[in-house]
Amino acid sequence: MSDTIFQIRQLKKHYEINLGLFKKPKIIKAVDSISFEVKKGEILSIVGESGCGKSTTAKMILKIEEPTGGEILFEGADITKLSGSDLVAYRKKVQIIFQDPYSSLNPRWKVGRIIAEPLALNSDMSKGEIKERVLYLMERVGMLPEWYDRYPHQFSGGQRQRIGIARALALNPEIIICDEPVSALDVSIQAQVLNLLLDLQEEFNLTYIFISHDLSVVNHISDRIIVMYYGKIVEMKPAEALFQNPEHDYTQKLLSAIPKIDL
Amino acid sequence: MNLIEVKNLKTYFFSDEGEVNKAVNNVSFEIPQGKTVCIVGESGSGKSITAMSIMQLIDHPGRIVGGEIILEESNLLKLSDAQMRKVRGRDVAMIFQEPMTSLNPSYTVGYQIDEALRLHHKELNKQQRFDKVVEALDLVGIPDPKEKYGEYPFKLSGGQRQRVMIAIAMACEPKLLIADEPTTALDVTIQAQVLDLMKKLQDETGTSILFITHDLAVVYQIADEVVVMYRGHIVEKASAKELFENPKHPYTKALLNSIPKPGVTPRKSRLDTVDDTVDYLSFPKEIR
Repeated sequence: MSDTIFQIRQLKKHYEINLGLFKKPKIIKAVDSISFEVKKGEILSIVGESGCGKSTTAKMILKIEEPTGGEILFEGADITKLSGSDLVAYRKKVQIIFQDPYSSLNPRWKVGRIIAEPLALNSDMSKGEIKERVLYLMERVGMLPEWYDRYPHQFSGGQRQRIGIARALALNPEIIICDEPVSALDVSIQAQVLNLLLDLQEEFNLTYIFISHDLSVVNHISDRIIVMYYGKIVEMKPAEALFQNPEHDYTQKLLSAIPKIDL
Repeated sequence: MNLIEVKNLKTYFFSDEGEVNKAVNNVSFEIPQGKTVCIVGESGSGKSITAMSIMQLIDHPGRIVGGEIILEESNLLKLSDAQMRKVRGRDVAMIFQEPMTSLNPSYTVGYQIDEALRLHHKELNKQQRFDKVVEALDLVGIPDPKEKYGEYPFKLSGGQRQRVMIAIAMACEPKLLIADEPTTALDVTIQAQVLDLMKKLQDETGTSILFITHDLAVVYQIADEVVVMYRGHIVEKASAKELFENPKHPYTKALLNSIPKPGVTPRKSRLDTVDDTVDYLSFPKEIR
């Protein structure tokens, strides 16, 4: 039990779409009774195409969306029932890195302030301590200290993603949800950010839930992979087994659709 | 036989402070009849500006300052605006990355495909144009093409919208189809369908394709010839086979090594990266 961080049981998210005053609302089952576990220190990837429910699942884990049903147990406690100081404590432990490094950073704030914000809100550190921590984080993600006073627009996509990663690390989280962290980046920059994520995972003993539609990236980085299709988990396996022996029709279709370079 | 020859193309951007950004700097390549040429490069390499230059859709503060673009013996850069308008859509058509934003939301799909025909095929009457639009929708694999004529773009999925974009581009049977990252915004299974569709259309119509992408795996799937761009320059040019089997330029090698290869790259190993501190332009260009 001790090495399980999350236990997700029969998790559901349904959306109602009103079709008109006298019509029955249509129910969209974005996430339809899924169950899985996240183990400490692993990289668990969720793959699937747009609309399969992978991001909705992540949002429910982050408590951005409320589940329609089911349980999300974090270290044994159901997070849907958390409130007050327990909720604050939970949010510190679970952080996110977003897909788009352009829209997820406030353009009017300097890098230093962006990375410091979680610390300013959630810790009782003094200004000096916060700055010290921010500079330490910047160094860890491969940024120069003189960039502290720059604005996001002065950076390329890859550098901005480093800012987002530093911000996610600020509160020493246990788990980071990476929502398509490299899909907006060029291939060479993708490699840099993936290397960084792997280095940080080892250094800080992190757990990642990695959401992506890029199967070659997922294959490279994951310990285990969940394949989602129309709100359901169709296959869940260690990465190697999934790629060598995909069982479900949809997984096979997905794998055969990846453009490959085989020489 | 080359359909298009781009010779020493230079497209620069001029800032108010007097700085000049040489986005496309002395670029030369050819597109053979009925073949697919891929331009591959990272953001800012000048690949999209090269494509836009062929269409002459470069806007202030950018300007094509030199070179020639020869399409079947006439230099497109010497044409008047009115003459160029006839080339666009009829001889050279373009599809864009974002199928969500490049269709007009307030017109039906059929109307938007019909637009190209109205402009370039004035000899056709309404019924003939309708038939042609339905044929184009059918060609790109949209089910119930007659019904879909009257649909608005919001009712279609991303993959279907990109098919409609291709139908618009193909309606006038262009000699050259320029596709600027046409599958980047799509899911992998839809991407595979769209790539198949483009190949099929090429086989059927003999159109040449200029395909712009940053995804090397897509290049491997679709290209006959590959042009690798880096900071406005072509650093390597070769047939797809040669380029992937024997990349010569250090930048091309770095780019190829930065993608994880399932089954070859050990899981969780650190990937090679393109070195920011290296000036790859200092190496000799590999033009084959």
